[in-house]
Amino acid sequence: MNWEGNAGCTWGESSATSDDAHISIRNLVKIFKRDESETVVLDNFTLDIRKGELITLVGPSGSGKTTILRLIAGLIEPTSGEIHIDGRPCAAPGSDRGMVFQDFALFPWRSVRKNVEFGLELAGIPKEERKERAEKYIKLAGLEKFIDSRVHELSGGMKQRVGIARALVGHPDVILMDEPFGSLDAQTRNIMQVQLLKILEKTDQTIVFVTHSVDEAVFLSDRIVVLTKRPAAIKEIIDIPWPRPRDRADREFAALRKRILTELEEENVMDY
Amino acid sequence: MSRILGIKYDENNKNHRFARTLVIAVISLTLFILVWWAVSVVTGNTAIPTPLETWNALVDLYLNGDRMTHRTLGQYISASLSTFVRGFILALAVAVPLGLVLGYSKLLRDFSNPVIEVLRPIAPIAWAPIFILSLGYTIGPMLVVFVGIFFPLLTNVIFGVRKIDPNWIDAAKTLGASQLQVFYKVMVPSAVPYVMNGIKIGLGIGWMCIVAAELYATPLMGIGFYLATQANAGYWPGAYAGLVIIGVLGLLTVGVADLIHRIVAKRTGMDV
Ligand SMILES: Nc1ncnc2c1ncn2[C@@H]1O[C@H](COP(=O)(O)OP(=O)(O)O)[C@@H](O)[C@H]1O
Ligand SMILES: [Mg+2]
Repeated sequence: MNWEGNAGCTWGESSATSDDAHISIRNLVKIFKRDESETVVLDNFTLDIRKGELITLVGPSGSGKTTILRLIAGLIEPTSGEIHIDGRPCAAPGSDRGMVFQDFALFPWRSVRKNVEFGLELAGIPKEERKERAEKYIKLAGLEKFIDSRVHELSGGMKQRVGIARALVGHPDVILMDEPFGSLDAQTRNIMQVQLLKILEKTDQTIVFVTHSVDEAVFLSDRIVVLTKRPAAIKEIIDIPWPRPRDRADREFAALRKRILTELEEENVMDY
Repeated sequence: MSRILGIKYDENNKNHRFARTLVIAVISLTLFILVWWAVSVVTGNTAIPTPLETWNALVDLYLNGDRMTHRTLGQYISASLSTFVRGFILALAVAVPLGLVLGYSKLLRDFSNPVIEVLRPIAPIAWAPIFILSLGYTIGPMLVVFVGIFFPLLTNVIFGVRKIDPNWIDAAKTLGASQLQVFYKVMVPSAVPYVMNGIKIGLGIGWMCIVAAELYATPLMGIGFYLATQANAGYWPGAYAGLVIIGVLGLLTVGVADLIHRIVAKRTGMDV
């Protein structure tokens, strides 16, 4: 467990690109224009994401984290620059990139089961197979007792487990998680982090995770990308080769958390 | 648990809540009838019959039919109901799909808005002589009811589609939904509670239209016609009995719609 010095820790842009990248983000520029006003959210943002890693973006709020995820998802288009997944350009949204939303974005007119089946339905998968696959993921999310419940009957943590099961069930290569536990209380949040890791153990998906809890980032990530304030640039990329589950009481855990927090404070964020 | 006028009342008990609503409704209606009675007696005006005279006219109509036209109460009601139901179904068939499309497409909305805004303020009753005298007694009155229900329904459906949570659309897209699938798997179901709301408002207005329509379409022999012939003959209790019938029919239809609305709200988890 050593991140100090250069061993497990890489710095800045030099390590942001490589040839074996799974998701390759190149010179991304995103400018929101509206009448007279112009917001430059990304200015030449470049990052490579490896296959199967859990990479976390932390940064001040408003720095452009959601924008990066939405660009990867194909929900918005870059002003310029490119994103490739396994060499293929990704433009329109597709079922190869799943997304988990901070406010869950579940469909209230559908039951838990029907929410999870949604993507399978769109893909025209036969009913029996749909049922089987949905049940498997609902079980994985620990929701088998609530399989026929309506989503408004669930607690926040349970709702987000439905959101995660819904994103995972179609086996996307990439899962984009935008502050998925941001609206949960601290205790539920910690439980969800443990459960997420448990669910992900059985999968080999690449996870791009956005949070503004540094603690969460250190607990979950293979790599942490620390972003500056808008326009988001990479301040530092930190490798965390520590085994899981990680112990928050660990001295090194606390030290790393402290260091990232200090870095973010330089970007004048007060929230923790 | 609290006490109202010395009677135990438990807000959390369904039966208590129902009893409370019922008792209040009975008191309210009783007071209304007493005031009506007082006005009738104090003014001594024969054009304001007492509630008892009205009741007797109603019972007489029910038992013996209309002495002037030899039609039964059932025939009057079914004539009006038939016009009403046909107008309602037509409004539903046109306003719901149109509202879904106009809610979805800004271009079509901007295109049709000027026309809708010019037509909307025209009272449905103003259409009555035109529709009935030009299109006849079968289609004319039905169209008057149609106009009455159409606009509030259309407005609500458009509103419902536009009120949709944009995260639902994003979620559907990242689960692989095409434009068309976003439309019928997300927009249509999420608009259902708003459709129900529009139906409830439309039904009330529809009943207002029907009497007006029947005043022109006398051969239809609906309740409106009965009311008019009674008033023409100076038999005021009969005319008032007509009013009571229209009021009760309106109450019943809106009550049924309200019940369906509640079931839909519960099933969809969306209360609007
Ligand atoms: N559709 C949009 N139109 C205009 N400005 C936007 C839009 N989306 C995001 N922004 C702006 O871009 C900046 C970054 O937003 P976002 O990516 O949501 O930040 P973060 O997720 O890091 O908090 C914010 O200042 C936000 O106001
Ligand atoms: Mg965000």
